[in-house]
Amino acid sequence: MKIKVAGIGLTKFGELWNKSLLDLALEASINAIKDSRIDKREIDAVFVGNMLIGKIAGQDHLGPVVASSLGLSAASFRVEGACASGGLAVHLAIQGILANTYKNVLVVGAEKMTDASSNQITWALMGASSSKERKAGLTFPALYALMTQAHMQKYGTTRKQLAEVSVKNHYHASLNKKAQYSCEVTTEKVLNSALISSPITLFDSSPITDGAGAVVLSAPTQSGSINNSSKGIFITGSAVASDTIDLAERDSLTELKATQMASKKALEQAGVETKDIKVCEVHDCFTIAEIMAMEDLGFCPKGMGGKFIEKGSSRLGSKCPVNTSGGLKACGHPVGATGVKQIVEITEQLRKTAGARQVKDANCGLTQNVGGTGATVVVHVLQT
Amino acid sequence: MMTGIVSYGVYIPKYRIKPSQIARAWGKEANGIEMSLGVFEKAVAAVDEDAVTLAVEASFKALQNGQIKPDSIGAIAVGSESHPYAVKPTSTTVAGILGLPEELLAIDLEFACKAGTSGIQLLSGFISTGKTKYVLAIGSDVAQSKPSDVLEYTAGSGAASFILGNKNTIANILDFTSYCSDTPDFWRRDTEKFPSHGGRFTGEPAYFTHVHKASILLLEKIKLKPADFDWAVFHMPNGKFPKKAAKKLGFSDAQIKPGFIVSQIGNPYSASSMIGLAAVLDIAKPGQKIFMCSYGSGAGSDAFVFETTPILKKFQRRNGASSLLRNKNSVQSQIQDKQMIDYSLVARNIINKYRI
Amino acid sequence: MSSPVTVWRHHKSIKNYLGKKGKIIVWTKVFVAPAGFEHEAPYPVVIAEFTDGKRIPLQLVEYEEKHLKPNQKIITVVRRLGKVKLDRVIEYGIKAKPV
Repeated sequence: MKIKVAGIGLTKFGELWNKSLLDLALEASINAIKDSRIDKREIDAVFVGNMLIGKIAGQDHLGPVVASSLGLSAASFRVEGACASGGLAVHLAIQGILANTYKNVLVVGAEKMTDASSNQITWALMGASSSKERKAGLTFPALYALMTQAHMQKYGTTRKQLAEVSVKNHYHASLNKKAQYSCEVTTEKVLNSALISSPITLFDSSPITDGAGAVVLSAPTQSGSINNSSKGIFITGSAVASDTIDLAERDSLTELKATQMASKKALEQAGVETKDIKVCEVHDCFTIAEIMAMEDLGFCPKGMGGKFIEKGSSRLGSKCPVNTSGGLKACGHPVGATGVKQIVEITEQLRKTAGARQVKDANCGLTQNVGGTGATVVVHVLQT
Repeated sequence: MMTGIVSYGVYIPKYRIKPSQIARAWGKEANGIEMSLGVFEKAVAAVDEDAVTLAVEASFKALQNGQIKPDSIGAIAVGSESHPYAVKPTSTTVAGILGLPEELLAIDLEFACKAGTSGIQLLSGFISTGKTKYVLAIGSDVAQSKPSDVLEYTAGSGAASFILGNKNTIANILDFTSYCSDTPDFWRRDTEKFPSHGGRFTGEPAYFTHVHKASILLLEKIKLKPADFDWAVFHMPNGKFPKKAAKKLGFSDAQIKPGFIVSQIGNPYSASSMIGLAAVLDIAKPGQKIFMCSYGSGAGSDAFVFETTPILKKFQRRNGASSLLRNKNSVQSQIQDKQMIDYSLVARNIINKYRI
Repeated sequence: MSSPVTVWRHHKSIKNYLGKKGKIIVWTKVFVAPAGFEHEAPYPVVIAEFTDGKRIPLQLVEYEEKHLKPNQKIITVVRRLGKVKLDRVIEYGIKAKPV
């Protein structure tokens, strides 16, 4: 496949008290449309990725909310897949283009989390889990804590190795003015921060964030988009896989089968292998998730994710830097927006417009977006 | 064919607190308080336990100990003064969780601390008239008291569940009676959070009068004397009242000893005399007579005469009675399986329950 | 939050889990609890594996720190689930306790 990323837009990520969900979605969308140089009337579909707004503000039916605010009467959809809502929205938009149904599609991922209390948000996020998990009093930090424990037991992964994920991503975010936390942290700070669910601490966990990201995707034959770079940026692989919603029912607690399956398919579609990936954005909702992602995506053998991070093998300057945006931990994790933001970051990298975060010779990138504890995984491959 | 107890089960929550710790929490004189009450520790239910969960645990054990299938139970009565709802029966929730059949008489009883024993009297009729094969009579309480009131030193938690039938009984009910009068010694109005009591009025005119009268009436009816009994169990609101009542009737300290559980777990209200009875059955031999008299404020007493059968020995052996403590379900082993807490946990429970 | 109907449906399945024996696979202690569970925090949650091979997540009660380890034996118990508003129906469910 070859889907053109014609335009990108991203709001600042953070506690944005003055902005509503619609404000954020529109800001990102308008910027993406402008960046694409496509007339908005040529947009024939709008996909909106969002998880929580229905539950916390009673607002559903987001497709027309966004489309009509842009002055469009295009086909419009809301896509939900927990924290993979954004990635799924991109994937579904691509299907519409591949089917020749749509020529130019706007995909926007947006989330407004700071309007609710943190107890309410913790409860609302558990919609991504199962009924049994909710009745057991679990939270997302607790679910990932169980996976962390399993990984530590099986492979000897240490809390220090986990902390290095946070340290690296904060360093990357310090180079990203859109990030929620563009401040560096030390390993000690991470290790000594408050326990949320043992052994996961505050600094192992992605924050509560408001933000939105948008892309305009086009069929490659579409003209009219003259990017800043001389080449086009294309999505050449897009795959989704599912696994059990109950963590307890997984075959393994230390890997995400859905990441392995989706990445295999996406890489095959793109005709590349893991070793060809020069930059990637993975779903570090908790530090253990990035360690497992390195293993599941094939960057290192199983069980070696901790050592991989510790050696600095995913830091800016290495062969394939991971989460140059700052990841979910430091750039922020407005749940439904993350999957789209990942596409935006990789596009910036491939366009060579990433400024201080620029990865040299980045010509092939990958995004991994996870829903819940891995019940949904969406992987995209982008190339110049 | 005689109606009697076929199986039983008991549940005592794990946490314990001493009356002196409670006194200290309220800035009261802690010295000598345990000696004066005759209560050294009381059982405290966890924040996620209530009369339903305690009843389920005790009943599950009763079904297992007796190897009785849930679908053979034809009636269930839950006696409590801490039913979780003012309107919605505890008995149907317990029945549903245990998997009892839906063709079932399920009733909730309330009569202060004798609600459970009244259930035994009522449901025994189902057995003696051949209405059903087995019935389940439960006394279960997470006892309530006003914080800082003297009742708080003894108000405990526990449940006991008795399965009655007329085949393979381990102890037959030889006879029973009940004596009551309108005596307002202890009450809680329907919109009040905590109960109130009449202080010393709860003694002579209330507890002692009703226990004594019910016991004398039964002993006369059945033509037996205290010396004819091997064991006796009385309702235990504290460590002093039952001893005094027993003595007045002519029962000895040795007779009441095995069923005397109040010093170690306090007063679990509807489960008090029933847990006492279970403790006796844990150690009794076949062919022994047991006298039991409960008491419920408001007021009344249910008196019983039981006689153990040869099947009791088989029952005890099957349920691990070679050592009382090795049998994890015995009253003594549950009494010993404890974890001390401090008043902060009690305070949290109160604040949580009453939404303060 | 649970409605009377969802509580009713859930209660019907409790009898299948009474007194089941199992062991802890992994555990975590939840310090920041979701709405409805704050009054019990901190509390451990485990993934328990039963003798029939089935695995489910359960809150752990009546524990001491020494019980928080893999392969610790547990048994199921019936307890109240979470805290519910006064005008709602109480939900009961299965938790685990160490043996």
